[in-house]
Amino acid sequence: MALLEMKGITKYIFDSYGVAIRNTTVKILDKVDFSLEKGEVHILVGENGAGKSTLMKVLGGLIPPDEGEILLDGKPVRPRSARDALDLGIGFIHQELNLCGNLSVRDNIFMGRELTHKGMKDGKEMRRRSEELLKEMGVNIDPDTLVKNLSTAQQQIIEIAKVFSYDCRIIIMDEPTSSLTKTEIDILFRLIHRLKAQGVSIIYISHRLEEFERVGDRLSVLRDGQYIGTLEKEAFHVDRIVSMMVGRALGAMYENTHVPGGERVLEVRALRLEPHTAPISLHVNRGEIVGIGGLVGAGRTELAKSIFGYRKSFGGQVLYNGNPLKKLDPALLIRAGIIYLTEDRKTEGLILDMGIRQNISLASLFRLFPRLFMFGHKEEELARDMVGRLNVVCNALEQTARTLSGGNQQKVVLGKCLATQPKLLILDEPTRGIDVGAKAEIYHMIDTIARSGVAVLMISSDMPELIGMSDRIYVMREGAIVVEITEKAEMQQETILEHTIGRTGGVA
Amino acid sequence: MQKKDTLETGWTRFLKEHGSIIFFAVLFLAASLFVNNFFTVRNVFTVIKQAAVPLVACMGLMLILTTGGIDLSLGYTLGLCSVLLGMMTKRYGFPAWTAIPLTLCVGAAVGLLNGSIVQFLKVPAFIATLGSGYVLFGIAQIFGKGDAFYQLPGDLLAFGTARPLSGLMDKLPEGAGGNLFLDQFFKLPAYVYIAALVAVIIFFLRHKTTYGRSLSAFGFNAATARLSGIRTARLHVLTYVISSTLVALAAVLLTIRVDCAQSNLGGSNYTFEIVTAAVVGGTSLFGGVSSVVNCIFGVLVTKTLENVVNLLAINIYLFQPLMGLVILLAIVLEAFKNRKL
Amino acid sequence: MHPAKKYRPALTALAVVAAFLIGGSFVPNFLNPANFLNVIRQCSIIAICAVGVTQVIVIKGIDLSVGGNVTFCGMLAGLLLGRGVPVPIAILAALAAGTAIGLVSGALHAYLEVPAFVATLVIGQITQGAAYLFNNGRSFGSFPPAFVFLGNGSLLGVPVSDYIMVIFVLAGVFVTTKLPIGTRIYGLGGNEQVLKNSGIDTAKIKLFVFAVSGFCAASAGVLLAAQLDTAHPTQGEPYQLDAIAACIIGGVSMAGGEGKVIMSMVGALIIQSIRNILNLLAVHSFYQNILVGVIIIGVVAISMMTRARRANKTAQFAAADAGALKP
Repeated sequence: MALLEMKGITKYIFDSYGVAIRNTTVKILDKVDFSLEKGEVHILVGENGAGKSTLMKVLGGLIPPDEGEILLDGKPVRPRSARDALDLGIGFIHQELNLCGNLSVRDNIFMGRELTHKGMKDGKEMRRRSEELLKEMGVNIDPDTLVKNLSTAQQQIIEIAKVFSYDCRIIIMDEPTSSLTKTEIDILFRLIHRLKAQGVSIIYISHRLEEFERVGDRLSVLRDGQYIGTLEKEAFHVDRIVSMMVGRALGAMYENTHVPGGERVLEVRALRLEPHTAPISLHVNRGEIVGIGGLVGAGRTELAKSIFGYRKSFGGQVLYNGNPLKKLDPALLIRAGIIYLTEDRKTEGLILDMGIRQNISLASLFRLFPRLFMFGHKEEELARDMVGRLNVVCNALEQTARTLSGGNQQKVVLGKCLATQPKLLILDEPTRGIDVGAKAEIYHMIDTIARSGVAVLMISSDMPELIGMSDRIYVMREGAIVVEITEKAEMQQETILEHTIGRTGGVA
Repeated sequence: MQKKDTLETGWTRFLKEHGSIIFFAVLFLAASLFVNNFFTVRNVFTVIKQAAVPLVACMGLMLILTTGGIDLSLGYTLGLCSVLLGMMTKRYGFPAWTAIPLTLCVGAAVGLLNGSIVQFLKVPAFIATLGSGYVLFGIAQIFGKGDAFYQLPGDLLAFGTARPLSGLMDKLPEGAGGNLFLDQFFKLPAYVYIAALVAVIIFFLRHKTTYGRSLSAFGFNAATARLSGIRTARLHVLTYVISSTLVALAAVLLTIRVDCAQSNLGGSNYTFEIVTAAVVGGTSLFGGVSSVVNCIFGVLVTKTLENVVNLLAINIYLFQPLMGLVILLAIVLEAFKNRKL
Repeated sequence: MHPAKKYRPALTALAVVAAFLIGGSFVPNFLNPANFLNVIRQCSIIAICAVGVTQVIVIKGIDLSVGGNVTFCGMLAGLLLGRGVPVPIAILAALAAGTAIGLVSGALHAYLEVPAFVATLVIGQITQGAAYLFNNGRSFGSFPPAFVFLGNGSLLGVPVSDYIMVIFVLAGVFVTTKLPIGTRIYGLGGNEQVLKNSGIDTAKIKLFVFAVSGFCAASAGVLLAAQLDTAHPTQGEPYQLDAIAACIIGGVSMAGGEGKVIMSMVGALIIQSIRNILNLLAVHSFYQNILVGVIIIGVVAISMMTRARRANKTAQFAAADAGALKP
């Protein structure tokens, strides 16, 4: 008998107040079945919006299912809160870190079930147990350290330790590697194997195909809220998985019809991100797509934000069309024809509470309505045009951005950028966390833009995307550029990785 | 996905978006039915006249609330401007046409100060304006030496109390002369027209300009707004400047209306009344959402209530707690609207 | 630990000493024992309010109802005492009322998700307004000697008010550092979602914190009435700003999650010393308000800017920290 069985889980779509809409054929989850054996790592894949996260939130007690049942050891259970789930032995490690930075490791691990002695906190005992726990997990972190003073990976370990300390039999990991470096991923995987050996079952949500084989025992695919099927380890074939995910064979994702021109649109000379980091120099030509590779946290976003004037930089010069820019300021640069698409669309790319129309026109108001007053239909025409060009799936132009799916949200942000009629487009992780179908459309769009002569600077952590799209690649490490790769032939995952991690950095 | 709009009928949407109008309608109806002397032409015009000055201040505060901030120094700014206006005209004999612009400049300067503290020193708005309120109150008391200025010069009073339409009364056809409504209407003083003009201007500014759109975007999400090329620092400070200038204008009109300039003309109670009006007028305290039309009704609600309390001749101290209960009610209804209850 | 934070208590202590030395050397009578006792007696009101306000600010809230609550509870005690109600019962009734007022603010904030500054502003205005209704805007006075003793009496040469203050501060320190709820209060200021995921009802913590703040304000209100031997419908107003100023000077961060009750007491002492020095120098209260306003804005601005700078400093670049994690 399986350790866990989820049968016929159904979740209807709901309005913005959380009330289920039952009278539709569209459902978030449609009679999904899922089972988990003891001591296995079960990978859950699917495009964005396929229902993976929702299914796991149902299991983790965060949202109630509308129909269906959950059997744990054959007994029906119904977790009503995260704590309920934890008490049942189901731990959820979220994509966003779930720790209080201003508290110590110890206080975080015992949050909500503090050990007490005569009603008072028993600090010593909590410290001792945390120390034991961390040692057991093979890491050496002082339980009295404040969490905010730890690295992202260390924080993730603490989170796993916290979940583990509830004696969880099932641990759900939602894209745990999305912000980890390669070394850190190795540590995480070692930990997963260790947990597995102790009989803990793990549900592992991921977008990264290369991880499946390394950790997975079985793999289940969801698509459009429906259960598609489960593969055993022997049957893990990328093509097979992808075709199950998208329901069709994957065609050519990357298009390269653009031709780089000669004139330099952007030139950065000896810019420093911090006073102590090495100076950065780079250039982007007309109609060229230049990729920036490197680890998350290597300073790529900081570089983009520095060029765009959203962040302070030190020394150096930025030339645009050959002329040095005197003042780096987003408002000035947008008016000059430079636009930056942020990596975080929800907090920096969109106004979630505004409609599609208002979002698309936001960066172009100065152009559409130079005389302050907003009369006429220019805005609506622009928005309709962009929604059409980018194939945004929506009900109406007034639909709020919050209610769109990730891929469509990203298209709206891209539409906002294109509406400014840029000459230089800086893209920061343009396809992060969106489904394969939307990805292909965005790649097509980027290629089209470059073909029209726009210079594109693209930051990406997705190696195939970086290699597939770029004409040239810069690789960053520790706040500086370590190499420029100009030849297509040299653009190999291995070479880029080597530069990313650094020859001496050592892959553990 | 089903179209969301079809889920809400026109009525529920109207209720949600214009709650203050319903609020006012219910209040007005109830007062007309149950309060003696409320539904008379003269009294209704009294309410309109009383609502004019707070409306000007409320328009300003609404803009600040749209940024996600608040101005707790509003009442003290009003007091300071009132004292300075009184000083300039009464003590130093400035003519109205210099004293009034100077007062507005003082208001603008206060706004510049508040806005700069919030924008550049990153102090949360309620702390910054709470602190600056005390500072302004202290300054006003020092200038006014705690006294009040009465019997202000005629040219200053004329600015607010002139009756621009009273000349038309003689031109009315026979028979209409005795009509109380027309009589009251043509006798409306200038400050009512000034307030109406301010409301119209702010309506266009808030709802029909790129400034208004940027303001709303900034209130919802400052980072996105800045990355979308909105000059957020300028916008933010400018909003405080506009707002405090309007408060200074309200100070001028109020000083003229009561013919008395003093430092505690406004105070924290006045701030609170204006905040109540704005919140009843559907302005979100989280920023981004506001509407001029709703705010007008918000002001009317507070002033109607004050009028009712006066007419019922109960304890005058009842007004302030009552105002608190009204804002509580508005907040609870807002929570209902967002289905937090 | 960041140096600025590490030395903060020391710096604040230094500021206190400096304030006293400056006060002592420039201002006649400041270090005079009688005056000094007066300062610490008066500072008890601010400090007691600050015990509650500290916790409110730690959970990223603010309490703007302190002034109204102090007044309301003072007036309520005055009303009851005037009607001949025994002293302990009058005090208990006032404290219960203050706690209930805090609970209402807390409920608005916790359950209706009203921003704390609005919820408490509203409640503050209602209580302030209601205080006028007790005696039609007039004050109460001439309380029983036992009641006045709480405010003006002394034991072993130390004002009774200060014993009360110390009890409040110690209780505050105990709750925030020794009890599980203390950790949760700080955790709530750090990341509320974490607490929710751990099965903690965060609304209850908010209710608790606002109730504590209401209780503290009520106690301060009663004590103030005892000190002045009068209860007037405006007497609580100055304590609104002073209580917040005390916390902010004591290093409680407006961004939440940071701050110590004991340091807020030091902040209260600093505020009261400044006011006392200005009084001794015959500076009018007009100027005192200006100064306190400037201090609040200045201290918050400095703490916000150092926080922003610290956030920038920690922007380390990856690949460097990967090695720090030794399996």
